[in-house]
Amino acid sequence: MAAGRTPVPSLGHVTVVGGCGFLGSHIVSLIIKRHPSTRISVLDLRTSSNRNASPQVSYHDGDITDLAALKTLFAELKPDVIIHTASPHFHLPAAVHDKVNIEGTKNLLAAAQETGVKAFVYTSSASVILGPETELVNANEDWPMVTGAAQPEYYTTTKAYAETAVLEANRTPTSFLTCAIRPAGIFGEGDVQLLPPIISAFRKGQTKFQVGANDNLFDFTYVENVAYGHLLAAQHLLHTHKILPTVPLDHERVDGEAFFITNGQPVYFWDFARAVWHEAGDRRPLSGVWKLDRDFAMGVGAVLENLFWALGRTPNITRKQVRYSTLNKYHNIDKAKRRLGYAPLVQLDEGVRRGVRWHVENEAKQAQKKDQ
Amino acid sequence: MPGVKDLAYYAVHPTQLRSIIQWKVWHNPVHERDESKESESLKRCFHFLAQTSRSFVAVILELHPDILVSVAIFYLVLRGLDTIEDDMTIPLAKKEPILRDFHNIIEQDGWTFTENGPNEKDRQLCVEFNVVIEEYKKLKPTHQAIIKDITKRMGNGMADYVKNAEFGIDDNGVNTVKDYEQYCHYVAGLVGEGCTRLFVEEGKANPALLKRTELHESMGQFLQQVNIIRDIKEDFDDKRRFWPKEIWSKHVDNFEDLFKPENKDKALACSSEMILTALRRADDCLFFLAGIKEQSVFNFCAIPQSMAIATLDACFQNHDIFKRNVKITKGDACQLMLESTQNLQLVCEVFKRYTRKIHKKSNPHDPNFLQISIACGKTEQFIESIFPSQKPPVDEKKNPTNVEEAARLKKEAEESKWETIYMISAVIGTVVFISGIMLVVAWFAGARFDIALGQAKEQLGQLFGSSGSINASAPLDTKPSTDHSEL
Repeated sequence: MAAGRTPVPSLGHVTVVGGCGFLGSHIVSLIIKRHPSTRISVLDLRTSSNRNASPQVSYHDGDITDLAALKTLFAELKPDVIIHTASPHFHLPAAVHDKVNIEGTKNLLAAAQETGVKAFVYTSSASVILGPETELVNANEDWPMVTGAAQPEYYTTTKAYAETAVLEANRTPTSFLTCAIRPAGIFGEGDVQLLPPIISAFRKGQTKFQVGANDNLFDFTYVENVAYGHLLAAQHLLHTHKILPTVPLDHERVDGEAFFITNGQPVYFWDFARAVWHEAGDRRPLSGVWKLDRDFAMGVGAVLENLFWALGRTPNITRKQVRYSTLNKYHNIDKAKRRLGYAPLVQLDEGVRRGVRWHVENEAKQAQKKDQ
Repeated sequence: MPGVKDLAYYAVHPTQLRSIIQWKVWHNPVHERDESKESESLKRCFHFLAQTSRSFVAVILELHPDILVSVAIFYLVLRGLDTIEDDMTIPLAKKEPILRDFHNIIEQDGWTFTENGPNEKDRQLCVEFNVVIEEYKKLKPTHQAIIKDITKRMGNGMADYVKNAEFGIDDNGVNTVKDYEQYCHYVAGLVGEGCTRLFVEEGKANPALLKRTELHESMGQFLQQVNIIRDIKEDFDDKRRFWPKEIWSKHVDNFEDLFKPENKDKALACSSEMILTALRRADDCLFFLAGIKEQSVFNFCAIPQSMAIATLDACFQNHDIFKRNVKITKGDACQLMLESTQNLQLVCEVFKRYTRKIHKKSNPHDPNFLQISIACGKTEQFIESIFPSQKPPVDEKKNPTNVEEAARLKKEAEESKWETIYMISAVIGTVVFISGIMLVVAWFAGARFDIALGQAKEQLGQLFGSSGSINASAPLDTKPSTDHSEL
């Protein structure tokens, strides 16, 4: 167990790939906080944003799709641990996902295998088991991946393929250990995908609508907890590396395994949105909320999507949004609790407070800049 | 007899009436006590049981004969202890040694207590306590030991509490949440432990329940906390306060402010926090019920729990609790009893139903809004873990898990597509070739394709134009051609 109070060991030299991104930068901060004697190098396409001022951290511009450059860099850095969080934005074209998620990950694996890296932690996604028809009710790691033709999101397919590549590379060579973290619904300071649209719905006065009965439970995960999951994974892989060639028992193994990491606190979908709205300043009483039937909203979404498609724009209500807001999507994280000793560092409500405050302040800053 | 008001109520709430009738008509006790074999003193004990406990007597009376008397005596012993503790007319110097020594008193033949105030409602039980002692001594030694141990610990806990109250250490009642749960532990958590030990002793419950002590603790805590929440007004009128200061002081400065109409929102937020504290135990209670092996014991444990979660729902976001005693309706109570006397899955459904009712009323601007959602989600997730609503899906399509496999599958799909195209072309080619040969042979043999073609055209024309007025002579024309075709 990685208890909070006992001095936490150094992770040696960690390279955080994508360390200037949303999750990556939080991982860098948490390593500095929890493992102060660890050396950190960040590899990112551009290292100008989200830079950490700590002298422990060095920044390196680089492209993971360039294998030769990666090999040179790793030969020079000689990292013990690679935490690979780099991923292109969800909306980008398929070719980019192929290039970065699959090819980039394979390049990183190849370079790491060649340069004596001990532990490789990959940031996968909880969506790799989410198909177009199923709901995720208390889903665990036994659920099969949904990929290829069955998976409507090409991004998710490439994340799944990359995860498999990472796990298959485990113990080749025998001293190279890998695992994958599958986070669900990451939010927090600096997130661009989850909190901003919810907050902007409040700014547009859309908090009076609710689609569906709000009985669907959803996993949202505060970013620091996801970062913590990665650090625990790295720590366990290093420990397994230390006891090589002994292989841990099957039910204790971390290497070659995937883990769901969430806050372990599923909440009703609209409750999360309302908590965010409240934090952003909304005071609309529950009695002032209009409940739209799910099927009705689906119909409206379909009509609007077609109309707006003709105009070349995206409407306020889409079928995908309707589906997500009425979907059960929560996971069983017992495996991470047992094998990684994971428990969330930050409770969900505290995470919402921190995240929303950051976004509201950021909005104000942006507005000031515009005024000037 | 039901009054006019009741009749009017049931006339507009027929489902409530239906539940009551169903319960009265269809519920058969799992076990029935056999009065003919009972001694006089035991009959007297059951008389007291009926008098002192209106909510528990029914479930106790249906218990399995192996534990029926033990549980009844256990209840009466604790009720005696409680009657002495509650009585404000007894001075501390007198009260404290009795409370601390009560586990020995229950072994003294003929002991009675007549010094309760005249208004103490269970006074008569203490006056005739010798009958309880007489029956206690007839119990199995193992059962006696359990009752004695719990009595000792509860008596000392109560003595500490009374002493603190007397010396003004907590003159405001309970201070911290820890004190509050400590109090609930003494008056209810210990009962949970005692009952669990009796059940396990008689093989009516899984021995693992004794190792997971937090489970039976939660059983007692949940019931007691719900009572404390529901009885806020009644206790306040009796000058007693069990809501911990740690919680109410976040919302109001003085406890009595909770009852002022202008503080409605604060009072509701405070009650939400109390309800949240209880609600966090719901999953443990269900877990506990999973360890019960005998139907009557299951009913005994499950009915009060179902009532408790329904009461929580009735109190949640309900400002009436600060004005009067809020109760669940008789119809709902009967419905709950019907559902709590069958199996764990049904009780889980009850919990899920009330959990969702609570969650739907939750106020987004309550300080504990998200915490309440989390507690509800936790209960639902627990139910899902013991009774999964769906199996992990089977990967029927054999989705590719890596890019190589995906590429191979794609290539295979492509190949099989071309294979199909080749196959169809081959079939069509063969048909065309053979038909061609046949036509050529027929031509050499003198077939008149020009006539056949013309005939076909006419027939087509007939098919589409026969009913129209395009060509009136068409029927005539067809005649010779049909002759030809006979050639």
